[in-house]
Amino acid sequence: MAEEYKSLHPLKYYRDYFAHDIRPDGREFADYRPVIVNVGSISTADGSAIAKVGKTTVICGVKAELCRPRPECPNKGFLVPNLELSPLCSSKFKSGPPGEEAQVLTQLIADVIENSRCINLEELCLLKDKLAWCLYADLVCLDYDGSLLDACIVALMACLRSVTLPHIDYDPALDVKQTNLQERRHIAVHSMPLACTLAIFDDKILLTDPTVEEENLSSGSVTVVINGDELCSVHKPGGSILSEDQLLDCIGKSQARAKSLQELINSAVNAANKMG
Amino acid sequence: MDVHSKEFISSNTPELKCEFGALSRSDGSVLFSEGESVIMASIYGPVEATFNKIVIDKASVDCYYRPKAGVPGVQDRLRESVIRNICEIAVAISLYPRTAVLVNVQEMQNRGQLISCAINAVSLACLDSGIDMKFVFGAVSCFLSNNGELSCIPSINEDTVKAMLVFVFNNTTGGIIASHTEGCFSIEQYKIALEMCRKESRNVFKFIKTSLLAADKL
Amino acid sequence: MVASTDLGFFLPGEVIKDIESKDKYTIIGPGLRRNEEDPNSLVATQAGRLTFRAPNTYWIESRRNRYIPKKGDLVVGVVTKKSGDILKVDIGCAEFAWLSLLAFEGSTKKMKPNVNVGDLIYAKLLNAHKEMEPELVCVDQYYKSGRLGVLPNEGVLINITLRLTHTLLNAENPLLRTMAKKFPYEIVIGVNGKVWIKANQAKDVLTLCKAFEAAELESEKSIIEACRQHK
Repeated sequence: MAEEYKSLHPLKYYRDYFAHDIRPDGREFADYRPVIVNVGSISTADGSAIAKVGKTTVICGVKAELCRPRPECPNKGFLVPNLELSPLCSSKFKSGPPGEEAQVLTQLIADVIENSRCINLEELCLLKDKLAWCLYADLVCLDYDGSLLDACIVALMACLRSVTLPHIDYDPALDVKQTNLQERRHIAVHSMPLACTLAIFDDKILLTDPTVEEENLSSGSVTVVINGDELCSVHKPGGSILSEDQLLDCIGKSQARAKSLQELINSAVNAANKMG
Repeated sequence: MDVHSKEFISSNTPELKCEFGALSRSDGSVLFSEGESVIMASIYGPVEATFNKIVIDKASVDCYYRPKAGVPGVQDRLRESVIRNICEIAVAISLYPRTAVLVNVQEMQNRGQLISCAINAVSLACLDSGIDMKFVFGAVSCFLSNNGELSCIPSINEDTVKAMLVFVFNNTTGGIIASHTEGCFSIEQYKIALEMCRKESRNVFKFIKTSLLAADKL
Repeated sequence: MVASTDLGFFLPGEVIKDIESKDKYTIIGPGLRRNEEDPNSLVATQAGRLTFRAPNTYWIESRRNRYIPKKGDLVVGVVTKKSGDILKVDIGCAEFAWLSLLAFEGSTKKMKPNVNVGDLIYAKLLNAHKEMEPELVCVDQYYKSGRLGVLPNEGVLINITLRLTHTLLNAENPLLRTMAKKFPYEIVIGVNGKVWIKANQAKDVLTLCKAFEAAELESEKSIIEACRQHK
């Protein structure tokens, strides 16, 4: 009976639960879903990680290439994120060139990397104006169940922590590169930005870590990216109107979450390092 | 129909200027400048929706952002999605089911406060088109310099800007419709910027009203 | 005719208090909605001047340019498609309006009027629900056409702003009468902003177009003043 009621009146179904201060999956409004991080899952990549937030699954792999820096910033390398939302993860995506949602999220991820300065691009430059690393961070969503940006950022940060780059001997006079694959080094990750998505339901209830159903029925969402003690992004693209207190409440909730996620990534990376 | 904001805005906030009806074919259009950023915005709507965009209980809002040069990129998609989300909440889209509202934004000049300039231009274009709206929205940008100072005017030297914060408010309750930030900042700074922008947004709404009044008299 | 009063300029979302309608029964026109929180006030949904006409009618004189169909409106449209007994007519709103060939005076299954794609129609909106296609008819409730029907091919169709159509259709506005003193012409004004004009010379049509263009930028008062000078 509950199933029929849910498919006929999804909004009412959720409201009935929320009236009792509980969500249909048994969580309270401010509860998170369990997060699983696995580091080094793809052996062929220069760094990789899988993040699962509830059912949302994102796999991130970093591929490093050598390239020439751009003339306008000759002492900087590149870190290019790209998110792929394939038909595999949800029926609302079609195959082919990236859709609007994938592009928007890719830009948000790129903004987070740039704003948090977690990777110093100057450290990716090997020789000014001649040689630099270009890191392609490819994120693929395998299962879409809400709070996608949270999972993407967790996967990306765990992945960047695991990236190792081979040592390069470069002779600028002869333009000869010699790659020493045995001597691999981690790249420096200076900070760890972490995202927290909240859905606004009926203009007043704040749901942390929403599922895709909650996102679709919600009247808006807020994504807060925490970078250590600082804020790195407060992204609220329209949707329900919030008061200042509600917005600050979102930030407060995100801070607590970021701390636990940070510990999780640290322990996952450390465990992987011990193993490998 | 040029309107200036000089009369009532102090010198430490960007000067606002607008010209209604800049385009003859669209239902509402405006050429708007905030400081030295300039945006042309136009609205068509409600018009016939293409088959795959029809929503049965409300109008679908489409936003097209054109950069100054070249083809729109991933960054412009993000701007489009922010503008579209704001329009969806501000325009009374449930009054026009199965139709489309087209929002076109053309960047003319970018000197920092591009996003707030674009949002304000869209707000004025919506008002010019006479489409039914639940409220008016106004955006304010605020810049945090490396030494911790907050200002509504972008610094000439881009390297001294640590963060940019954009807030979008409504004219009725002063609630926050949207928030967009670039760069890092502390929570305290965010709070101060929010308060500062809220104060400044009153001037934006005042400007919107004055300019529409001036255009109405003609 | 009861004069209407101007109650100031409003922006969408602004609350209008102190409603003076009799018996708390208010008729609201375009640009307004009822306030759910306070039944004795209204909320503006368009930017414009709030206007009140005694005893109880309120509306906003806005700068809307896109026509939204309303039941009973008299509109001018262009036939864009003909399939069977159904005509699709472009009246300038989001969807094509629907007009049956049987909705003309004297039309039967066997005797249908000759209407072709591209013809101009002066018709009345029978139905204009937002959830449905607007429906047009060319007969009144007594099945007589009156002035409705297909417009002759000799005329010219121009588009004017919605605000100007309201000005021109106001019986007290002297602009059309003043122009008629200069030269004879026939005019059909649809409230959707489409206007059909027929005059003896092309020059006269252009004069009318120019006059409308000028009137679009003038206030009602200055139009009346200009007409008085030309008497």
